[in-house]
Amino acid sequence: MATIPDLEQDIIERFGPHLAYSSGVRLETGIEPDRLVQTHCCFCGQQCGIQLKVKDNQVIGFEPREDFPFNRGMLCPKGVKRYLQGSHPDRLLSAYERDKKSEGGFRSVTYQKAVERVAAEIKRIQSEFGNDAFGVLSGASLTTEKTYLMGKFARLCLKTANIDYNGRLCMVSAAAGNKKAFGIDRAANPWSDILKSEVVLIAGANVAECAPITTNYVWQARENGARIIVIDPRITPIARTCDLFLPVKPGRDVALFNGILHLMIEHNLLDHQFIEQETVGFDSVAEQVREWNPKRTAEVTGISEKAIRQAAEWWGEARTSFLLHARGIEHHSHGVQNVLGAINLVLASGRIGREGCGYATITGQGNGQGGREHGQKCDQLPGGRDISNPEHRAYVAGVWGVDAAELPGAGVDAYEIFRKIDRGEIRGLLSICFNPKVSLPDSKFVTRALEKLEFYVAIDFFLSETAHHADIVLPGSLHEEDEGVVTQIEGRVIKINKAVDPPGDARQDWRIIQDVAKALGRERGFTFSEPREIFKELRVASRGGIADYSGITYEKIERQQGVFWPCVSDDDPGTERLFEKGSWNPIAKGAGRFYFADGKARFNVAQYAPPAEDVDQEYPIILTTGRVVSHFLSGTQTRRIGPLIDQYPEPKVEMHPRLAEKLGVEDGDWVTVESRRGRVTLRAHVVATIRPDTVFIPYHWAGNQSANLLTISAQDPISKIPEYKVCAVRVSKTD
Amino acid sequence: MAVPRHNQFFIDPNRCIGCQACVQACSECDTHKGHPMIHLEYVDRAHSVQTVPVVCMHCEAPTCAEVCPADAIKRTEDGVVQTARKPRCIACNNCVLACPFGVPEMETELKLMMKCDMCYDRTSVGKKPMCATVCPSQALFFGTMEEIERLRPRSTPINQFKFGRQIIATKVHIMIPKTGRAAYIDVTAAMDERSMGKDITLMILDEMLDVRG
Amino acid sequence: MAKETIKATLWGALVTSALAILIIVGSRNLAHFDAALVGYTFAVLFATFGITYRYAMWLQRPPTALYWKRGWQVFFRPRHLSRNLAQWFGRVTGEFALNRFIFRRSKSRWAAHWLIMWGCVMAMAITFPLVFGWIHFETLPEDIHWYRTYIFGFSTFAFPIHSIFGFMIFHGLVWASILVIAGVMLAMRRRMRDHGAAALQQFGEDFLPLILLFAISVTGLMLTASYSWMKGYGYDFLAILHAITVIFTLLWLPFGKFFHIFQRPAQLGVGFYKDVGERSAQAQCRRCKEAFASRMHVEDLIKVEQQLGFKYEIDDATEHYQWICPRCRRSMLALAQGREWNEEVKR
Repeated sequence: MATIPDLEQDIIERFGPHLAYSSGVRLETGIEPDRLVQTHCCFCGQQCGIQLKVKDNQVIGFEPREDFPFNRGMLCPKGVKRYLQGSHPDRLLSAYERDKKSEGGFRSVTYQKAVERVAAEIKRIQSEFGNDAFGVLSGASLTTEKTYLMGKFARLCLKTANIDYNGRLCMVSAAAGNKKAFGIDRAANPWSDILKSEVVLIAGANVAECAPITTNYVWQARENGARIIVIDPRITPIARTCDLFLPVKPGRDVALFNGILHLMIEHNLLDHQFIEQETVGFDSVAEQVREWNPKRTAEVTGISEKAIRQAAEWWGEARTSFLLHARGIEHHSHGVQNVLGAINLVLASGRIGREGCGYATITGQGNGQGGREHGQKCDQLPGGRDISNPEHRAYVAGVWGVDAAELPGAGVDAYEIFRKIDRGEIRGLLSICFNPKVSLPDSKFVTRALEKLEFYVAIDFFLSETAHHADIVLPGSLHEEDEGVVTQIEGRVIKINKAVDPPGDARQDWRIIQDVAKALGRERGFTFSEPREIFKELRVASRGGIADYSGITYEKIERQQGVFWPCVSDDDPGTERLFEKGSWNPIAKGAGRFYFADGKARFNVAQYAPPAEDVDQEYPIILTTGRVVSHFLSGTQTRRIGPLIDQYPEPKVEMHPRLAEKLGVEDGDWVTVESRRGRVTLRAHVVATIRPDTVFIPYHWAGNQSANLLTISAQDPISKIPEYKVCAVRVSKTD
Repeated sequence: MAVPRHNQFFIDPNRCIGCQACVQACSECDTHKGHPMIHLEYVDRAHSVQTVPVVCMHCEAPTCAEVCPADAIKRTEDGVVQTARKPRCIACNNCVLACPFGVPEMETELKLMMKCDMCYDRTSVGKKPMCATVCPSQALFFGTMEEIERLRPRSTPINQFKFGRQIIATKVHIMIPKTGRAAYIDVTAAMDERSMGKDITLMILDEMLDVRG
Repeated sequence: MAKETIKATLWGALVTSALAILIIVGSRNLAHFDAALVGYTFAVLFATFGITYRYAMWLQRPPTALYWKRGWQVFFRPRHLSRNLAQWFGRVTGEFALNRFIFRRSKSRWAAHWLIMWGCVMAMAITFPLVFGWIHFETLPEDIHWYRTYIFGFSTFAFPIHSIFGFMIFHGLVWASILVIAGVMLAMRRRMRDHGAAALQQFGEDFLPLILLFAISVTGLMLTASYSWMKGYGYDFLAILHAITVIFTLLWLPFGKFFHIFQRPAQLGVGFYKDVGERSAQAQCRRCKEAFASRMHVEDLIKVEQQLGFKYEIDDATEHYQWICPRCRRSMLALAQGREWNEEVKR
């Protein structure tokens, strides 16, 4: 039903991506905007403050927002050109129904008719195959109100266990590792602590391209005397001038962390008092890292012993420090182990919970933090609660006014949802803010699964590649067309303000969800009239949970330029830095500063294992994937913005000149990269800034340019994050 | 209106991450909307990710203005070298070739040289230029001398540059190490310098390449 | 007095005298010269001196002198003369008559400039010959409803006074004023709204010329209105007012924005210089080895820079900094700064 046989080209011609450039009123230099709307960027987890210029219900440009403390006016190229996503020729202005005969493969239908069809199909599928046969995929670029509503919608309205979100591709390894070690999943420190650290260790984070504003924090720390250590298989811009660069072999990060801890123990560079009094589990970790002597670590990681020793010395001897990591160590079949290995270094140093002593994952998506807290994760309820925990279920059921027994149990992760579709266990799907056809690994499989769906409804503002498969498309809202809160990289809850109204038949996503609930005849609990009302309920639902938002209000956010959660009461300004001495939390209840009953942090044995698919004779080269600065995630937005495409028009295969020489490839040649799952043909970019055993392809593109045709769907057993960062390929010059 | 004297432009190319936020933001300025005037380039991408952002340095005695046959380039009293005056510029390209920093751009179709004017529409009313406001690495910084001294304890600003035997003084400063003793940056002495950055040094590189057979 | 000033003064005197002689000759020993317009005549003579002086000074600046010389040289190259002539006509039409390059800069800017330019051209084409007595009309002895036109005292065509042609001719200045006023309005609108213009414009350079043009046009129109419909009410006063605006503008011509009218044709010379440059040997950057400009241009610039007192000479095989392309110049700045930091790391 949801196949797209020969229509792909037609669809692209009709729905894009087409490129938007500044023109008309946006190029005029004599226009006074009607107003400047103070809001945030729609892209990454840093959520930079920005002001949008609005004229006649159209965003015509931007002004830097220098009063917002995180970025103080700074923006990356995506933020600068974000305004071009509005009034876009590809914008969906009505609901659409799949119709092979219509131009572009879809026929415009009235919104009401489309919603009724969605409700009818949901009813049909659920009555025929059970409630769990209808799945929901949501996203972490939505406001927290919407993510809360999506979780509630799945559990309460659809009564399906099968909801998950695209944070599964992003933050889950860090989240799982954080919970295991600290009992809470949030950046432990505000970024201002980076400025006060003596050593900044950046592991698997292309800061300059994926979190550009963080660059200034790192450089400022260096200017204040800090040493910068970067762990990456590529010399990224932040690595170029760092003090120590560790070019780790993809998939071997935990070996490196264990090796560094080994040396810290050997040279007694530990905070014994902290370890004894405030942590548990050090001994077994010490026992386990004994085998990771420098020689073995060097062999496994491909980094020189000297560099490893230097890292251990600097990290061990520092009085203050900040450890940052990101997808580079998290996108692995042992991503949680990598994260735990990194956290062990922090715990062994005792440098946490005070000024200049910090740890954080660099959250990727716009609401990567808030989107993973309030119940759109398959095993989670609002406030970071556990859907399998009877007390937690009872509390949330109470807020929702239902019996806890009515709530479904834990569902499966986003990739498993596709496996269930493939097996015929899930027959219908609703997706919002998620483009899995581009963003999930092994995209041939994802496409096959999409084609098997009996009914698929996509809510989106542009027709994403995944939505090409939809039976019904409902026109959702752009970031600037709605209000609500998101939680940025530091754990600061901020407010997105509405700049313009949705055009045509498009409407705010939460309204669409409520309309579907109404059409299903299950509107109880879905009669909110504005985001503020949803937020009010969310605050109650989160009260007493770990991610406690109960003391946060829109007004407090406005007044304080954001509120760090947990914020438990009206007079609580929020919690900038976690784990401070003497701090209270609802789990430890005063027993200690970490979120466990005994108040102590956990050392976890971080087990090294090679990647799921290592190189061999047949596929001898490592493929790693990632981002470029001018594009965001699956590119649904940035591939439609002309100046961003001009900056980086198409994906290229980065390879070292020594590898290129071996393959007989020169810069600019077409090369075919092949894995066990697929092949892509792209131009080679021959640069000495990558390990010679590794090639890199950015993943923002669709169709036959998609890096995820190659990647492997192996997942971390705990976090279920896919292994985007390592698979085996062979590369050949294309004739 | 003039640029307040206490506001100055400081550049630290060593901080640049090549993200092009400056380029994208430059084209949003009202004095040159749609035309990014800042240059951002890889120095030698095959070997390094080093990039360099170049804005007009606003020379005290601008070579571009001196070699202009049409008297089209003016330096305002606040020391800002303005883009070519539209009625006068005859698009001869002298300024483009003569500028020691490689700044002016020729818009051949428009018969007009255009160059960075320090976002005069913004700076003359006390705002920062677009590029320096958005720059995520603050390789481009706009503020007071006191601010830069406080924020960059390792660095010191310098505004003298040597090209061959010529020394040029500029309004814009470049940041160099505080421990350095140079009275000027000798640009032509860097003629044969290689693009810098970390090298991939791998102890087991050769074995790894051999595995591939 | 410096050599340049003497030269420029002599040129100014020469051209002004030539014009004076032409006025005397063209008006047949002032026979057709209207004494009431003597103020205008002297203003024109003063402007002529001023413009010639400034032009001569300008041409003596090293870069201009070189371009002036080279422009004519390449234009008159015998091999290319016919092609150059064809191109000259093409460019005069495209760039001067149609202002195509301004059209590409901005359409509203183009509309303003084009209207003002053609309004002024028309007005000058009418008034200057009349003021100088180069043109006058006489009624035909056989029919008082006909006029005959005399140019430089020579009899030319005749036309009926009360014809459409006659109406158009006698109201030529009205049409010119309307064009100018429309253009000034458009330009003013842009200057008052555009944020970019607001930052850069200056009263003397940008508003004064518009105000002057507006004043000339409006007072001129008022004169017409006065004698056409108001039986000459206030005519004398208006005539003086109009004369003041015109004379002030003429006197100001060599100093302000209007001087671009005389500089602009240099664009043609530049065009031919560039054409020749493209066809001739290219200069290769002595750092990256890429071609980046014509050899002739680089060599000329080196001369100009030396005349201006710059010392971009380099004491090695590069010889002169002018042999480095702009892109390499930008890279070298980063490399030079990076070197300072590398040395710090070593310390």
